[in-house]
Formats: sequence, C-alpha cells, structure tokens
Amino acid sequence: MKKIIFMFTALMVSFAISAQAQSMTGTHAEHGDHDNHAHVEQPLVQGAQDDKTVAGDVHVSVKGLVCDFCARALEKVFGKQEAVNDIDVDLDNKLITIDFKDGQSLNDDTIRALIQDSGYNVENIHRVTE
Amino acid sequence: MTREIIFVFFVAVLVIANATVADARPVSYPGGWTMMFMNNGDANTAHLHYSPTAKYSVGYKFEHWRDRGFNLNAAQLNGLVKRWNEKDSQANFYVKGGIGIASERGTSNDDMAGFAGISTDWENRRLFFQYENRYTEAGNIDDFFGQSARVGWAPYEGDYGDLHTWLMVEVDHSPESEDSFTVTPLMRFFKGVHLVEAGMSNQGEALFNYVLRY
Repeated sequence: MKKIIFMFTALMVSFAISAQAQSMTGTHAEHGDHDNHAHVEQPLVQGAQDDKTVAGDVHVSVKGLVCDFCARALEKVFGKQEAVNDIDVDLDNKLITIDFKDGQSLNDDTIRALIQDSGYNVENIHRVTE
Repeated sequence: MTREIIFVFFVAVLVIANATVADARPVSYPGGWTMMFMNNGDANTAHLHYSPTAKYSVGYKFEHWRDRGFNLNAAQLNGLVKRWNEKDSQANFYVKGGIGIASERGTSNDDMAGFAGISTDWENRRLFFQYENRYTEAGNIDDFFGQSARVGWAPYEGDYGDLHTWLMVEVDHSPESEDSFTVTPLMRFFKGVHLVEAGMSNQGEALFNYVLRY
C-alpha cells in the first residue's frame, strides 16, 4: 500500500508539473519568438470576428509542423471556427493557408492563439490582399 | 475452447502496447480522441484517451500481461510538460501515470495498482527518436520497471494526406527479465487518422500496434 501511495503522490506531482508547464507556456511564447501576446487564457470566441476584417487568404508559417498528425490538428482546430471556409496544409514549407468565408476573417492574435492552443507556434503571418 | 479462441483473437486484434512501450503522442489536439491498441511479446494493451487541451489527456487503459499473469484496468493521465517547436523539427517531454485495479488471473486476487513514467521524443520529417520509461506497481501481485528507446527513418517525405512510411528499431529493456534487452525492427505506416506498426523482435515475438485519432 505504501508503494501505491507513493505512486499516487508521484502522479500528483507529475500532473502539477504538467499543469504548471501548461500555465507557463500559455503566458509565454516559446523560444522568445514573437507570439508572446497570444494567451491561451484569453477565451477564444468561436468564430471570433475581427473588426479589421481582411478579405482574402492568410498564409501562416508554423513552427513544429513536421508531421501529418500536426497538420491534422490544425485542420481540426481551424475547422471549428465559423469564419473559416477551408484550410490547406503544406508540410514541405511548414505553411498553412486559411481560406475565410466571404466578409469574415480572424485577427492575427486569434490565429496565433489557435495555433498555440493546438501545440504549435507561429513564425509569421502573411495576409493576401486582393 | 471457443471462448479461448475468441479471447485470443480479441486480444490479438485489439492489443499492442507493452508496458514500456510506445504510447506515441499520448496527448492529442484540443478535443481529440485517440484509441491505441498495442501488442508485443510482453503485453497487450488498449488505451482510449481524450485531450481537452493540447497539454494533457485523460483516458482509460487496459493491460493484459501475459507472463506476469495479471490484468490492469486503470484511469490514465498524460501531460505534455514541454514542447519545443522549431522550423523543421519538434521535440516533446511527457509525463504519464495511471491508477486502477490489478487482477491476478486465475485467482480472486485484486489489488490497487498504479504506474508512472516519462516519455520524450524528437522528430523531423526524416528522423525520429524516442525514449520512455515506466514503473508499474500492481499491488501485491507484481512490480517492475521498463524502458524503451526507438529510432526511426522515413525513406521519403510524404505530403499531407499521403501514406507516410517509417522504418524503425525499438530496443526494450526490462532489467529483471532473463533476456533483459529486446530489439524489434518494425515498420510504421501512417495515413489520415490511422497509424499501424508491425515488427518482429530478436526473440521472435511479434509487435503490432494500431492507433486511431479523430
């Protein structure tokens, strides 16, 4: 029974470490890149609309986009956004292209937060103007 | 006899994760469900987990330890402690633990059980490295430590949605076993939401894993 108690304690410590790490990575950008203002604590409103709506696609260079599973994660997360029509993933260039519905978009902070919440980091965002 | 055959078939189809093994990606994307069935020379396991966020997952784990003679039913929690995202690579450090009931087969001996371990990996589109370990305490039935390392190489870089193929070698170390090291060359195939791994160890034991993510 002592071992079980030890195991349980170890588990709790592990979870606490994990939760702490979660909290820290939510408030800090990893590796000092430029997405430190993307907070996971900040509630992400479903289909959050940007009052500076930009028509056209958005290209996002993503760090950590190294496998099919990573790509699928981003596709799932952006697919839940009302403003998003489609998302295309280019693993070779570590680039995602977000196609928005007419007259809708997501601001850069929201895009950064969604990608960070998915477990990845934004390198840069480029908006295609028409 | 028929029931035994059904059971063996069920286990063979379902299982695949030994205690030391390869819970590849124990945390999914927010809202993602994962089913893992793993089988190797030591155990057959099934693990169903849900990830509320990309930082942790909660789930149920079943393990059938053949030679050790017990089954384990446990609630499992996995946490992503740290992820390093780089332009062309990604590395992760996870902690994993579970608590539940161990049941000695052929007896009425049930006892509280638990396990805890770590897992770390690094990968780019061509190379993959992984190490993990686990200590298991199956109440008054058994306790043991195991660890494993894996190296992988992709012969080509598939695009998103293509069939991805990896050639891998896994080394398992169970300090208390007679043959404490087991080497298993295997192949991993990954397409869409399906991941399949198949291999054969130097001790002639088959490895077969199936992972479904949705």
